[in-house]
Amino acid sequence: MSLKDLVTPFSVWKRALEKPYTNRKPLDSRPGADRYRGFHINDVDKCIGCGTCESICQNEAIDLVPVEGRKTKHGDSGLRPKVDYGRCCWCALCVDICPTGSLGMSNEYVWVDSDPEVFRYVPGHDEKPWNACEKGYRRAEGYDLLEPKRVEMPMLDFSESQKSFVEMVQGYSKEQAMEEADRCIECGICIATCPAHMDVPAYIDAIRRDDLADGLRTVYEANPLPASCGRVCSHACEHVCAMKHKGEAISIRWLKRYIVDQIYANDYQQFLDAAAPENGRSVAIVGSGPGGLAAAYYLRLIGYAVTVYDANEAAGGMLRYGIPEYRLPYDQVDKDIEYIRSLGVTINQNVRIGADVSFQEIYDGNDAVFFSTGLSDPYALEIPGEDLRGVIPGLTILDEVTKGQKPDIGDSVVVVGGGNVAMDAARTSRRYGAEVTILYRRREVDMPADEEEIHESQGEGVTLITQAIPIRIEKGETRRLKLIWGKAEMVPDDRGGRPRPRLIEGSEEVIECDTIVPAIGQQADYKFLPEEIAGRLEFAKGMVTVNEFKQTGDTKIFAGGDIANRKRDAISAIANGHSAAKGIDIYLTNFAAGGRA
Amino acid sequence: MSDQHTQTQISSAEVHEVFADLHTRYGVRGLEEKRADQAFVRTDRDEAVAVLTHLRDRHGYTHLAFLTAVDQIEEGRFELLYMLHNYELRHDLGVIVEIPREGDGCSMDTIHRMWPAAATYQRELREMFGIDFPGSPRLHEDFALEGWHDLPPMRKEFDTREYSERTYYARPGRTKTDTRQHMKDTIYPSEAETW
Amino acid sequence: MVNTDTRSDRPARRGTPIPGTSSARGVPNLATRSQEHINDNPLMPPIVDGKAVFDLDSGKYLKLWQGPQHPGITGNMSLELVVCGDEIVECKTHVGYLHRGFEKLMERRSYIQCFPIVCRIAVPEPDFNEYLFAATVEEIQGIEVPERAQWIRTLNLEMARLASFFMWMGGMAGAFGLGTQGQWTVTMRDYILDRFEELTGGRIYHMYMIPGGVRGDFPEGFTDRLRETIDTCEKTLQDVERTLFNNAVFKKRAKGLGVIHPDIVDQFGIVGPNARAAGFARDVRKDHPYLVYDQLDFEVVTHTDSDAYARAWVRLQEMYQSMDLIRQILDRMPAEGPFFTKLPNVLHWNVKPGHIYKKAECTRGEYGYYLNSDGSDKPRRIYVRGPSYTHAVSLMEHLSIGCNIADTAGLMVSLHTYPPEVER
Repeated sequence: MSLKDLVTPFSVWKRALEKPYTNRKPLDSRPGADRYRGFHINDVDKCIGCGTCESICQNEAIDLVPVEGRKTKHGDSGLRPKVDYGRCCWCALCVDICPTGSLGMSNEYVWVDSDPEVFRYVPGHDEKPWNACEKGYRRAEGYDLLEPKRVEMPMLDFSESQKSFVEMVQGYSKEQAMEEADRCIECGICIATCPAHMDVPAYIDAIRRDDLADGLRTVYEANPLPASCGRVCSHACEHVCAMKHKGEAISIRWLKRYIVDQIYANDYQQFLDAAAPENGRSVAIVGSGPGGLAAAYYLRLIGYAVTVYDANEAAGGMLRYGIPEYRLPYDQVDKDIEYIRSLGVTINQNVRIGADVSFQEIYDGNDAVFFSTGLSDPYALEIPGEDLRGVIPGLTILDEVTKGQKPDIGDSVVVVGGGNVAMDAARTSRRYGAEVTILYRRREVDMPADEEEIHESQGEGVTLITQAIPIRIEKGETRRLKLIWGKAEMVPDDRGGRPRPRLIEGSEEVIECDTIVPAIGQQADYKFLPEEIAGRLEFAKGMVTVNEFKQTGDTKIFAGGDIANRKRDAISAIANGHSAAKGIDIYLTNFAAGGRA
Repeated sequence: MSDQHTQTQISSAEVHEVFADLHTRYGVRGLEEKRADQAFVRTDRDEAVAVLTHLRDRHGYTHLAFLTAVDQIEEGRFELLYMLHNYELRHDLGVIVEIPREGDGCSMDTIHRMWPAAATYQRELREMFGIDFPGSPRLHEDFALEGWHDLPPMRKEFDTREYSERTYYARPGRTKTDTRQHMKDTIYPSEAETW
Repeated sequence: MVNTDTRSDRPARRGTPIPGTSSARGVPNLATRSQEHINDNPLMPPIVDGKAVFDLDSGKYLKLWQGPQHPGITGNMSLELVVCGDEIVECKTHVGYLHRGFEKLMERRSYIQCFPIVCRIAVPEPDFNEYLFAATVEEIQGIEVPERAQWIRTLNLEMARLASFFMWMGGMAGAFGLGTQGQWTVTMRDYILDRFEELTGGRIYHMYMIPGGVRGDFPEGFTDRLRETIDTCEKTLQDVERTLFNNAVFKKRAKGLGVIHPDIVDQFGIVGPNARAAGFARDVRKDHPYLVYDQLDFEVVTHTDSDAYARAWVRLQEMYQSMDLIRQILDRMPAEGPFFTKLPNVLHWNVKPGHIYKKAECTRGEYGYYLNSDGSDKPRRIYVRGPSYTHAVSLMEHLSIGCNIADTAGLMVSLHTYPPEVER
């Protein structure tokens, strides 16, 4: 031991002159760092209660719970996360994974209470001093556990697509589908919004597992027309997808299509449930659109003998006659229908009920009747000159094309309307080489057509004129016709609805064309119903009134599809058919036990 | 005695040479080269101690980084993993030995005479997996689990959730609401929309 | 094949460097200074097969428990000692006071859910768990981490080493009754934790190095504040060096205490500063450079005395080294760039099947993760190799024989052990 060893420790004394680094009590001024992981905060209006925070929590510290004053609605479960600080480990993975970005953490960390029960609350809903805290942990820019962008769908480019009826959307490859399926967070918010309540997360999971047979089974549990729906479904599910809050919704529709596209029609029977043996009861179905076919499928599955009557040459209804082939190829419609037919469903084509066979006859000859006859009568424009040659309703053009006839449209076409039929008629005309203009009364944002249809029609060279009101049609000078139209201004609706178009007086413009295509909607035609039966049914605003099981005023008659719901899309018709099948089964099992009525 | 940092990394050829030697002598198989500095081999239980001794004394794998087990319950066996390291060649060599996971066969020769520290690993493996190492010191003394009478907890059939539910109680007052069910109950409760 | 004769003709005196031979090809020898000392003393029991043979009922011996409260800053574990007078004739390490079964819990959680768990396996130095867990998953999955993330991770690990050493340094001083240095060093650790807090959002459990990179870039002004902190730390460390390493009490008690003979280094799997103080220039950062260590300049610190003092000295030098490395990293790292790379959706991530062992040099030496994936969404097995596993159990039991009761804490701390990594 040296003298140095004894002396050096005394150098500690110099520290007596230094400022101490302890904090003065009370400790009220030591905020957590800017990104400190303190107590949770949640923007409860932004939160959709998807429960992803709950599923990623490794400690089960989060419960989704109903909170007062918050209603469940489409795209929002109405539940909100409740955090138990007896379990929370402050990892903030819940913040990282939150698809809406509503969840965060404050930098507050001091909370003293003698009651352990209080350390459990719904962030953002329960009043806490840190609710408005700007600081604290948030997911950093450049770090994301979820992928906001969807896998791009291979499409024909517009220069190609407008030349033919080849399907424009080409479908995902296996790698693309698996990558897209991987984006799904399995919250299941979409299930409530899908009219048919398909178990979307389950079939997307099947894609990830590459067990497409299982995926097909899941799909068929709620939708027997998946090849068609996988292409043209109105995909309400995607509008409420939790991932949409982050970026782009999961391509639910196209993932469904992927499953169906990978399985040959002939292999369906080895993966799907076989139909039960016939139970001695029979159901007649009028109309072979999606509603009728869905009812037929589910009824046949549980043992009913099903006969479908359809006025057209081929089954499918609007799927076949209302949607052009570049969106939904006929062989895909056939794939769905042929499987239903293979279960033993009889489909009688070219039979017009009320003309070839009376409704009374099928009513008397079956235990129940379901009709889903759709909307076949186009609304007229109700302007002068509508009866001139060259005014052809949109549905007529689509119908003719399906039947293999070349529509008489000439070189220039003006389509009036903003729905999907208008888009289909316009794009179909484009494929016959015509110059096409669409006139729509309101603004582009008001158009009822699917966004992608509007986008694609413009891409294919269709001119869109909005806030345009047709005034009259006259014989043209250089062309077959001329349409006189006026500009509209948008005025607020007195009844609180969306703004309405009002004609600006004296703003007349003229457009010359060969064909004018009214496509402003269509209505139902109930002429096939005998008066006596029609008298027992109720109608309101052109629709048949039905109960939840789609039963009409006549207990034996059920109705669905566009004539019975306001959504007027294929998937709602399918859901109606499914509900009706359940209803018919309950009715025939419990209330008409005596057999044939 | 200090290791020189100028030494070069082991080459794949050298790894293959060691493997060929072990293969000829002891039938060691299944060489997996993970990285330039890491490989795994498999050997039979009866040869394992000889292989480890040979590797330590002849090939310079003097460091036992760890000894552990992987439960391959579906195949009814444990994989014992002896992770060896050669400081001179800077190479990790994992020696995998398969043993049955049930019955008398669930045992292995002790290596505590080669590496005294191995006694601790073996004690833990006995406690956590139920693997016997006859002759290993203090093998049956508790290690981390004082007074444990249940299944060896690292075995796959030991269910932690079931155990904790049986042993502890949940904090009262927690309720869970299933998002999908809740949305069904509020948005479409009808029997007509229940498939 | 092991020579159980613990008497050795090798001279061994307190504080003298022991000429060593590599045990790789030589005859293994378990002899240490302390055991010889016992066998030289007629009052002490005979040593057979490395263990003392005694009869507790003879009244000559006393059983004494040290722990399970922290015996020095070593974490919750306890030593069951048998003493003769105040000299230890037998020591058994008891662990399990912290056992939370992390390895088992991880087998029952998805990979992303393992991420918040791993840091808890070594409380004062959690970052190595984060790094190694992320690195094993990334290697099996084939994920390339962006360059900036690699620099940030390296910085994070060196900050963790420094903070951990500071905490250890206080414990080392405290174990010999020197409380002042402990106050200083724990404060320095807290300053580093302040930097961790602003970088990661947490002081103790950082949960920052997620598979794919890190969870955030530097906050505004971070590097300047970090440099300042390092300067403060350096100044204090110089004071610690002056007052601890030139301190008669510390020198007197630490020199010659717990000598680890080079021959037993491999037998007991001794790594890190414990091995380096015995003359082995082994450092994972140098031998198997990970992250960006191959782009940094540093020398492996060694000593030959292999006693508590030598180990403390090695750690002191490594603290200066860490500060130097932190400055190097701040100087050399790319100014910007991505710090995270896209992962598969972590909510249903099936990691590719395979197995791999990754290691890194923590303050106690070789820290390792072995990951065995069966291709499912949960790991089949994660094994955590903590250096304390051998240091705190078999090595401690071996070294403590012949040690005084009063020196047990000092011996224990000189091995730098963290019990959570024993129990995992």
